[in-house]
Amino acid sequence: MRAGERRWGGWRQPVAIAVAVAFLLPLWFMVSGSLREPGTPPPRAPELIPRPLSTVSYDRAFDLVDLGRHTVNSLIVAALTVPLAVLVASLAGFALLLVAGRARAVIVGLSFAALMIPVTALLVPRFAMFRWLGLTDTWAPLVAPALLGLSPFYVLLFYWSFRRLPPELLEAARLEGMQPFAMWRRVGMPLVRPVTIAVALLAFIASWGNFLEPLIYVFNPDLYTLPLGLRSLETLDRTNYPVLLAGAVVATAPVVLAFVIAQRYFLHEDRGAGWLGR
Amino acid sequence: MSRIELQGVRKRFGATAALDGVDVEAKDGELLVVVGPSGCGKSTLLRCIAGLEAVDEGTIRIGDRDVTNVKPAARNVSMVFQSYALFPHLTVRENIAFGLVVREEPKAVVRERVAEASKLVGAEPFLDRRPYELSGGERQRVALARALVRRPEAYLLDEPLSNLDAGTRVEMRTEIRRLHREVGSTMVHVTHDQVEAMTIGDRVVVLDAGRVRQVGTPDEVYSRPTDLFVARFLGTPAINVLTPQEARAFFAIPEGTVLGVRPEQVRLDGDGVPSRVELVEVAGSDAYVFLDRGLVARVATDARPAEGAEVRARFDREAAHLFDEATGRRIQP
Repeated sequence: MRAGERRWGGWRQPVAIAVAVAFLLPLWFMVSGSLREPGTPPPRAPELIPRPLSTVSYDRAFDLVDLGRHTVNSLIVAALTVPLAVLVASLAGFALLLVAGRARAVIVGLSFAALMIPVTALLVPRFAMFRWLGLTDTWAPLVAPALLGLSPFYVLLFYWSFRRLPPELLEAARLEGMQPFAMWRRVGMPLVRPVTIAVALLAFIASWGNFLEPLIYVFNPDLYTLPLGLRSLETLDRTNYPVLLAGAVVATAPVVLAFVIAQRYFLHEDRGAGWLGR
Repeated sequence: MSRIELQGVRKRFGATAALDGVDVEAKDGELLVVVGPSGCGKSTLLRCIAGLEAVDEGTIRIGDRDVTNVKPAARNVSMVFQSYALFPHLTVRENIAFGLVVREEPKAVVRERVAEASKLVGAEPFLDRRPYELSGGERQRVALARALVRRPEAYLLDEPLSNLDAGTRVEMRTEIRRLHREVGSTMVHVTHDQVEAMTIGDRVVVLDAGRVRQVGTPDEVYSRPTDLFVARFLGTPAINVLTPQEARAFFAIPEGTVLGVRPEQVRLDGDGVPSRVELVEVAGSDAYVFLDRGLVARVATDARPAEGAEVRARFDREAAHLFDEATGRRIQP
């Protein structure tokens, strides 16, 4: 038993359960609410399992709004955004590792500064830029941030992960004549797999839940992503909570599924995964 | 096979001179050991030869080529790192083959060379394991095989035994010596362990504060140190250094000089100077006897005196070294 485990003693599990319940309850009420009959008002007291159970709200949600198409649209945007964001952020993070000391400090500082800029502050200039480029009412403005790694945070996350690797590994590769791109691909990336998966998951969540940018750039309903579909649902049947919650379940399920699949990779720690050659 | 020659090599890190005008030559096929205390610049020296650090001044030649400004990969040297630098995500086989695969050698050649190198170091039984499944000694063998597989002009070994336990270190010391004999290439081996330096090297370079203090065979640097630093650095326990006042009981030496005498040269028999035994440390077959006259004697454990015993200590004048007290340089021819 490790020291941390001893200190926590028997409290660890109940605390973990309490935290899990606090986070899972809203999800549960979302699912249970979506299984109520359409048109019924929200229950006065919390209702774990609704009576009668009904999936009609889902049919209604899909009838009102083309949620299937919006889901596919969101999937396409995420499928373009996530790999591109991971590719660019990891390449930028690796490049940062190879940059000489002072220049690197400046770039890291600028990245931090960029992190502090609120997204809303850039909405107008970015809209103007994409309109000038003739890219509004396309998915290009939604995917374009991935060309910059989506967020400076992801670049820094990769940089910190690469910096954790023993420098001798890269030096050994250099001595064998490996070029920087090959080093990134064959030495760096295989050794930061948990971070890659974490960044991919974060990028997926960011892309999937992105409401503001599709709202600004996309006008054609055929190009709507799921968050815009949910807004349409709310506009069309504002008080029908079971239907709104059914839409919310449809929007949330892929993210939860992605987390369940990914968590086993980035929460997985064994001797092999942790050993970095020292 | 080729020699490595450094001429006037200087390397600074900020205000610190890691290498301060180093002139060293590793002869063709020689196993040259660079030894010195931590921070003396020995690893920097090796990294400069490999091309992982650019030198500020001076030239480095490998064979007939001036490689001072040549990229690491084009220098055709292999390096074994202190931490082995094995790629954790690759199997032992893939680790050994790494350099050949990067150079896009034909698969048949890769297979043949990997088999040859792994046989040479005894890594065959664990070729399909990953590095984290190996012991320190096995990792060391893999690192050596990875260096050997490319058949470079020279090998650079950066404290390759420092992470091993005492038993494995002795075993791998012999192994490196054997490999050097079989491969016959020039090797530069860096260590802070004087025993390792003395047992492995054809010649030893003693480095201190970025400067070469002495170059010679292990016997030369041990028995004829050029200065007090070398005399003190080599040998366990360290050489006895006596001031003119302390030495007077044994021999008169001029003021401004010090007398150095190895503990094994101090004898506790016959008609020497009366001394009292303050402490006795037993180290296997030898015992270190600390005397009240500031002397340490190394004697056979069987013949060690008891603590507190009165003994007579002496040593031959010819076995002692005279050094200038101010400069530390050897005076006696």
